[in-house]
Amino acid sequence: MNTMTASTALASGRVRLANVRQIALVTAKIRALWVLAAFVFITFIAIIRIGQLGVSQGAPERTSMAEALLPSRGEITDRNGMALARAFASYSLWFNPKALGAAGSPLVKTPGEIARALMQIFPDADYDELVRRLSANKGGYLRRRVLPEEANRVFALGEPALEFPREEQRFYPQGSLAAHVLGYVDDEGKGKVGMESVLEQRLLDPAQRGTPTALSIDARVQGALEDELARGMTDTKAKGAAGMILDVDTGEVIALASLPSFNPNRSDLAYDSLVSNRVSNERYELGSTFKPITVAAAIDAGVITDLAVRYSAVPFKIGGFTIHDSHNLGASLNVPEALIQSSNVVTAHIAEKLGGPALRRTMMQLGMNERPTIELPARGFPLWPRSGNAAGDWSEITTMTVSYGHGIAVTPLHLAAAYAALVNGGIWRPATLYKVDPAHVPAGRRVFQASTSARMRQLLRMIVADGTGRQANAYGFRVGGKTGSAEKAGGGGYRKTSLIATFAAAFPMDKPRYVVIAMLDEPQATQATSGQRTAAFNAAPIVGRVVPRIGPMLGVVPDATRDVDISDISPLVPRGAAE
Amino acid sequence: MIMKAQRFRSIGWLVLLALCAVAVMVLAFRVNALRSQVMRTEAKIVAMRMEELYLRTEFETRANQQQLRDWNAVEFGYVAPSAGQYLENERQLAQFARPDGPGAPEPLRVASLDDALVAQAAFPAFVSPLSGKSLAEEASAQDAPDLADHDAAKAALAVTLSKVRTVHEGSDADAPKVAKSQAKLAPKSVLLAARTADVPGKRKVLAAAQLGATKPKTAKQASTTSEARSSK
Repeated sequence: MNTMTASTALASGRVRLANVRQIALVTAKIRALWVLAAFVFITFIAIIRIGQLGVSQGAPERTSMAEALLPSRGEITDRNGMALARAFASYSLWFNPKALGAAGSPLVKTPGEIARALMQIFPDADYDELVRRLSANKGGYLRRRVLPEEANRVFALGEPALEFPREEQRFYPQGSLAAHVLGYVDDEGKGKVGMESVLEQRLLDPAQRGTPTALSIDARVQGALEDELARGMTDTKAKGAAGMILDVDTGEVIALASLPSFNPNRSDLAYDSLVSNRVSNERYELGSTFKPITVAAAIDAGVITDLAVRYSAVPFKIGGFTIHDSHNLGASLNVPEALIQSSNVVTAHIAEKLGGPALRRTMMQLGMNERPTIELPARGFPLWPRSGNAAGDWSEITTMTVSYGHGIAVTPLHLAAAYAALVNGGIWRPATLYKVDPAHVPAGRRVFQASTSARMRQLLRMIVADGTGRQANAYGFRVGGKTGSAEKAGGGGYRKTSLIATFAAAFPMDKPRYVVIAMLDEPQATQATSGQRTAAFNAAPIVGRVVPRIGPMLGVVPDATRDVDISDISPLVPRGAAE
Repeated sequence: MIMKAQRFRSIGWLVLLALCAVAVMVLAFRVNALRSQVMRTEAKIVAMRMEELYLRTEFETRANQQQLRDWNAVEFGYVAPSAGQYLENERQLAQFARPDGPGAPEPLRVASLDDALVAQAAFPAFVSPLSGKSLAEEASAQDAPDLADHDAAKAALAVTLSKVRTVHEGSDADAPKVAKSQAKLAPKSVLLAARTADVPGKRKVLAAAQLGATKPKTAKQASTTSEARSSK
């Protein structure tokens, strides 16, 4: 019994041992298999990943080259392709007070020293403002749009707190040149004032912004005009100046300047008083420059058939108002003499003979009763004289004052377009700031007959050759034009010493191509103007200096052997009579 | 046996399949590598363009109208050309011409008759690509293939020039002497040149040159004719 028990016990122990061994072996095998499976799985995953990387994920986010080079805002160029406004990543000067850690001064030197050093790099900066901002524990732009050279010089100061982030910005390489035409872009990226505002959609449209937009402006001519206007302004201590150059055959504005100006690169300094455009927005009584328009209307209507007919030049009263000239011009004058000597009295007589409706019609055809036609958003509505009766006709006194440019206030742009029609054969065309394809010149509308225009060319040339516009007589350029010195209204009447001096000219008179307008706001009598305030001494010389500078650029070659033929009317004006 | 072959075949297919897979993979990798290279290059081009735009803008800013005006005012002082600086046509240019004053130097005169000969001989206009000789030379090669050369032309030029110089510089008396000495220098070449010349004009010149060597008066006549012609 005992033996049996013992053998059974032995047998069962063996079996158990064999089981344990087997189980251990199986477990080991299974574990090995798991490890193998894991390795196979990882390898498999790795191969798949390699394949995936190699086949599909190899290239980074693909953006086409054209896309990468597309500017954020389209470029604006002048008519010759010179960039006037461009979007590109430029440096800014940023003050980071935490550059040297949170504690202690962020600057190595004192804020005063740094500000002085920065003043040497940026002479137009404000010292106190810089010191204040460098002392404050607040980050911010010290300056936007920094040139690389300037950035290098700031970098050389060795201040880690002065950083140069590169940001996409609107930049105007020409500075304040044509600022009123271009306008500026504000901090939110919106175009303001000029073409930046007009072209907003086009400049932001991805389909169109890749190609630059060409304006009709010629930057060189614009530069010359601004330069000479600024000089005229300084010479006469005038409050402001305006000028424009207009292509008489296409209506393209070649240059448009309003001074004082602003720098579109510093939009923070674009104050309203500077942004206001004197050429297209501000209106002035432009005075005697209207006389040629009246005379042309009279010639056109057949009222003046014989230029030799003499009109009384004696001051006369009408409606409690005396029409007189700046000085006594004698008992009578013929038409060329009246223009050359700028007689209000004779012009009023001509207007009286012409009649209010005819003069009014001509003025309306010249667009004097509506805002000037140009793309700019700032367009001033003229002060158009009120009509005396139901038919809309002007009273006699209104007709007379309008005939010599008083009682009607228009923008210089109105005047330029009218003068273009006066000399180009009689066609009025809207002014434009877009470059015009010569094949698609707007047809315009006929205001004067071609013969009238030819006559006016002679008369305007005579005014410059022998009359009040002599200082504009650039040698060889055959300039013709008319001065206008109008007293500014104010204080219940006209102020004797506050003038608007204008010179409206065109050249070359034998085949007019450009109208030039120069206007000074309240010029003073200075030594440079021989102690005079009138346009003959301040505005005319500006044109006389501008024309020789711009003529060759615009393809007008000075030639002393050519001129408009004035032989048929020159006998009507005695030599030396005009003063 | 059959089983073995079948197994080999299937293994072969498998190997081929694997090879193809590997080849496709390699190709895909290479294509992608190239693609990223293109991308990198494009990015580089974009960066360069940006840089170029940046530099151009800086240049334009530094050379803007106002800056140029300031420089001109301080440094250069250029002014626009005036009416007197423009000429419209040749007539206006001709207005600047003045008649010679007393004691003005004689205008330079060149004997014009042998210009063609000299030009032809010294600088052949058309050279045959085959022979390397001038075409005119080749045409006359049958008559005298080895005669027209630089020496002959030089001699002819020297002789003719000597005539001109004789009249201009020398007196009547020493004119024949100079002509003679020149003729002595290269009488052979002159004769050779005379033989090659087949144009009537040239022949006349050469004849005149030969005559000059022997008959001074005729030589003088010949050169004065040429002088008259050139001064026309």
